[in-house]
Amino acid sequence: MTPEAIVAIIASGLVSGSLYALMASGLSLVWGTVRMFNFAHGALVMIGAYSGWYISNRGGLAKVLQPLGKNITTNSADWGVLGDVLHPLGEWMLSAKGGFGLVVGVPVAIVFCGLAGYVIYVLLIRPFVGKPGADLIVIITTIAGASFLQNGVQVLFGPRYKQLDRILKGPPLEVLDTAIGLQEVLIIVLTPVTLILLNLFLKHSKLGLAIRAVAQNDDFARLVGINVNQIYTLTFIVSSILAGLAGLMLGGLFFILPTMGAEPLLRAFVVVVFGGLGSLPGTIIGSYAIGLIEQSSAYVFSLYWAPVVLFATLILVLIFRPRGLMGGEES
Amino acid sequence: MISFIHANKKALAVVGIVVFLAIPLVVDNKLLIHLAILGMLYAVVASNWDLTLGYAGVFNFAHLAFFGIGAYTSGILTVKLGISPWLGIPCGAVAAAIASVIVSIPAIRLRGIYVALLTFACSQLVLLLLLSQPLITGGQQGLTGVPQLQIGDFRFRESKFAHFYLVGLLLLCSTVFLRRLVTSDFGLSLIALRDFEEYAIARGIPLARQRLLAFLLSSIFPGLAGGVYAHFLIVASPDIFGFSLAILLLSMVLVGGVATIYGPVLIGVVMTYVSELMASSAWMSEIFGVSRGPVRFMFVAVIIVLTMRFFPQGVWGLIKQYSARSRMTEPAEGEDRV
Repeated sequence: MTPEAIVAIIASGLVSGSLYALMASGLSLVWGTVRMFNFAHGALVMIGAYSGWYISNRGGLAKVLQPLGKNITTNSADWGVLGDVLHPLGEWMLSAKGGFGLVVGVPVAIVFCGLAGYVIYVLLIRPFVGKPGADLIVIITTIAGASFLQNGVQVLFGPRYKQLDRILKGPPLEVLDTAIGLQEVLIIVLTPVTLILLNLFLKHSKLGLAIRAVAQNDDFARLVGINVNQIYTLTFIVSSILAGLAGLMLGGLFFILPTMGAEPLLRAFVVVVFGGLGSLPGTIIGSYAIGLIEQSSAYVFSLYWAPVVLFATLILVLIFRPRGLMGGEES
Repeated sequence: MISFIHANKKALAVVGIVVFLAIPLVVDNKLLIHLAILGMLYAVVASNWDLTLGYAGVFNFAHLAFFGIGAYTSGILTVKLGISPWLGIPCGAVAAAIASVIVSIPAIRLRGIYVALLTFACSQLVLLLLLSQPLITGGQQGLTGVPQLQIGDFRFRESKFAHFYLVGLLLLCSTVFLRRLVTSDFGLSLIALRDFEEYAIARGIPLARQRLLAFLLSSIFPGLAGGVYAHFLIVASPDIFGFSLAILLLSMVLVGGVATIYGPVLIGVVMTYVSELMASSAWMSEIFGVSRGPVRFMFVAVIIVLTMRFFPQGVWGLIKQYSARSRMTEPAEGEDRV
């Protein structure tokens, strides 16, 4: 193995590891707090990418606004006072010809993902919280939700691939004669920052402490006056935002299509099982480990065999450590 | 009404069989017959899924893999080795049974969500293995040129009766087998393990053995159905392992009624009609344009969520509830054991 190959493997391993970490930490957080497993998490990744694309790209919202803006600017003279008010709006619509850019697209996508997560929680999860066998019912309802969103997006946007603009443009970074794209570098750097922010939020903010309190013991959390239902909702929204971020990163690397969330979600399953559900440090270590294992086995064997190695590892881990490599005994 | 059914079981069975045999004589629409065959195959898979999902209470997401393994085994054996489909189909069932044992060995050690994750991973692993060997399995395009069923010079695809009767017989055997199984001591022990695990174990029911048997017994008929499916459509495609088919079959089990067997059989056929006719009907294409295929899966998803939310007992569960209420006023008789 040449040093270039090693650098390339590490770089791509860190990129996939970062994406898995963003997804799996959300899954793990929800599992630890709400005790539910969200199979629609992959669909939220896809929603993040699509909403980012829709706002930022000229083929999205901007394209829809063009005829509307044209209509307003040409006819506003006949509309009196209303026309005077609407005219600048129409001009603004026309000026957005090239899309709104990622500066607008990314924050809007994040907000939208939070909203989508809230809707999923209210419709598919909240009605079952506290009922017997709820964790298994929620698997079914969230799978159905994921199917609904996937197919819905296909109806809305068609099967043609989309792509997000790259955030950083420019020549790739050279590390030991190996070229690493700037987008990849950005992902490798931004993910740990996000995860550290998440950690600070959980450890030092009042809401974060409440999330951890509910995760540890929801009855006692209720006793000290924490609104457990609100914390469940909040956790779910945080997790959805993390998924959305993963989608935005993924959308800048690969093509955006309705099923784009399925593959990373499967990897995230492997990760959470590997790292133990509900343990955030375990999940993050597991993500990077899985990313590196996957990329090196893709190099050593082939692209086809890498996932086989991965799933075989997962099955073996589950046989010998049924609660994950780092998962402790459940009380 | 239920007491009337109980009193005239045999007569009703005969009437049912005669009506069934007459269907292809009366119905002249090729599409409807095709969908009936497809629906009955799906009904076999869905009702067997009910054994692990409903009766054993095990979240087995590898069930469709058994169906797929049956299809691919029979397909590969007939295409690559040239053996007769009539031998290939039972081989598919054997392969599915072996796979079910392999999956169940780690699965019976796990609980709740981990079972779901493991079985999900197993079914994906099977798919990935199939895709990684395109020379044998045809890869992403699927295995084409699977021979059709024939007896002597009689080709099944040229007759509208042959597949219909064959699959009907398969569904009948599968349903009788499942109903006998779930009302037997074995079936009762599965229910006991599902509802009162600790007590059932204390009463001496071997948890691991019963669950392993549940996996094994639920894989045989889907394995057979998979083989018939491949020879009926003359292709074995990786779509079998896809998300969409899994959702469709899951909806059959849930809407039909978990732990009823009859429910998934009935709704299996109904859902196939509903979803396929949605995909081919003219008014749907007028509303949704060319992309009406996805719309039916959105519809199926909504149905699933509504079922889980408002009538988790499913259609057959509702029928049973209703009949139990009406039976209160009548003298008790021939009580169903489940």
